[in-house]
Amino acid sequence: MNMYNWVDGLIYGGRKKAFPLVTYPSVQLLYVTVRELVANSSYQALGMRLIADRYDMPAAVSYMDLSVEAEAFGANAVYGVDDVPTITGSIVETEEQANSLRVPEVGDGRTGITVEGIRKAVKLISDRPVIANCIGPFSLAGRLMNVNNVMVYCYEEPEMLHTVLKKGTEFAVKYCKALKEAGANGVILAEPLAGLLSPELMSEFSSDYVRQFVDAVQDKNFVVIYHNCGSAVEKLSEQILDTGCIAFHFGDSINMQNMLKLIPRNYLVMGNISPSRLFNNGTPTQIRLETTRLLEACGGYRNFVISSGCDVPPLTDFENIDIFFKTVESYYYRQSLYDIID
Amino acid sequence: MASLQRIAEAVENGKNKEAVDLINEALRDGVDPQTILKDGMMAAMEVIGQRFRDNEIFVPEMLVAARAMKKGVAVLQPYLASKSSVQRGKVIIGTVEGDLHDIGKNLVAMMLEGVGFEVIDLGVDVPPGKFVEELKRNPDTKIIAISALLTTTIAQVRLTIEALKEAGLRDQVTIMVGGAPVTQSFADSVGADAYTPDAGSAAEWAKNRFSVLS
Repeated sequence: MNMYNWVDGLIYGGRKKAFPLVTYPSVQLLYVTVRELVANSSYQALGMRLIADRYDMPAAVSYMDLSVEAEAFGANAVYGVDDVPTITGSIVETEEQANSLRVPEVGDGRTGITVEGIRKAVKLISDRPVIANCIGPFSLAGRLMNVNNVMVYCYEEPEMLHTVLKKGTEFAVKYCKALKEAGANGVILAEPLAGLLSPELMSEFSSDYVRQFVDAVQDKNFVVIYHNCGSAVEKLSEQILDTGCIAFHFGDSINMQNMLKLIPRNYLVMGNISPSRLFNNGTPTQIRLETTRLLEACGGYRNFVISSGCDVPPLTDFENIDIFFKTVESYYYRQSLYDIID
Repeated sequence: MASLQRIAEAVENGKNKEAVDLINEALRDGVDPQTILKDGMMAAMEVIGQRFRDNEIFVPEMLVAARAMKKGVAVLQPYLASKSSVQRGKVIIGTVEGDLHDIGKNLVAMMLEGVGFEVIDLGVDVPPGKFVEELKRNPDTKIIAISALLTTTIAQVRLTIEALKEAGLRDQVTIMVGGAPVTQSFADSVGADAYTPDAGSAAEWAKNRFSVLS
């Protein structure tokens, strides 16, 4: 599938569809826990198919699990029953540890499960692209070195940080090539930790490495969607565009209208209904209201596709997800009628 | 002679070695330690907090400044007459049970120290009972600061406040809440006294609520 055409289709094509990052709620349809899901490729593939059956979205997306890559390096992953795994501690605190850090092979940790999950998902889903997930280089470094320390290392141990970033990028490229070979049509590269950086630090410690990653894996058959739900992103538009990505996904801590003014109109921009405040904790009425508000503010931008700000939590009520989709569909239906009569 | 201005600049710029050297120099020159703390270092952290709220600096800059502040305070500690004379009071802070996220909580802790609070950091995954126990051990605590980052753990904020009520301790402290899924309306619904969206605002609110004891 030509994914450049797919991106263009989302920007210039007909009536737009909602494209939230809805995959973890599939645990409710599968009757499994998150802990079981993240360790089983069949559950992952089936979950993606059940979500695709339920919602007409531009693509099927896999699970945003920011612990997979770090775990492959040897970091400690903590599994909650119904929480997405998280990394604790750090495995790199000295230059010696950075230098001796082994770049894992695809298959280490749960990376083999996620690649297999994509391979199985592609067998089940043929009516839309299948998009995988991968962590971004600075966010991965944060998980290997502790997210607090990595911020300080930007100033106090830049060389050590660069060593880890190089190795993280090397693995991310290997991993994504395996996902591509398994049949994925693209990847969401999640780089949320970089969204806390200043423009200068983001250039040096994130964008340069994301660019290397994009240059290595992106082509017409495989697109990289850059995800950054950090709060400083409105100040980082230049650095974000420097990554070489053509599609972007932003979180609910930013003003989407402001962001759309900063990104050229031939780039895809997605976001940003709050997964926690609205999808998970909101009422249907609140979701309908805020979704409509966002569409009214941003719907005039052809390159805007409404989405969640990040992945929707596992136990989100499907009633809330349903109302989001209905609201979007209703909005664009009304717009199509206005287009006829105006 | 090390000026307070230079000490403040070193702290603001996160130059902890330079800050320590300048503080030692100022002490040798006979500058009052409390003056160094208040007018050199705490003043710098107030500037940092304001610049962060104004989006002029970002998380790494805040963290390195807070570390410089912490190292400077460690140098001054033996010279200070008593802790309470430079403190706004105690804060007990923690991330709720089941939640391992700490970057925001750590920033808040550092900023609160920066504006003169003594912070007892309970860490992450803190059960409600632990907040209660720590408050009983430190009955002079002014603030309990509760952090939650996950949608699945935000309910623990309510449970923590309930535990404080059940222990009969709720009314003796001010409760501040924060974290990505936390909102003002959530804070109101759980009966918190304050919600702040970031570390700089948290320190500003706490500083305005509790003036320096002396």
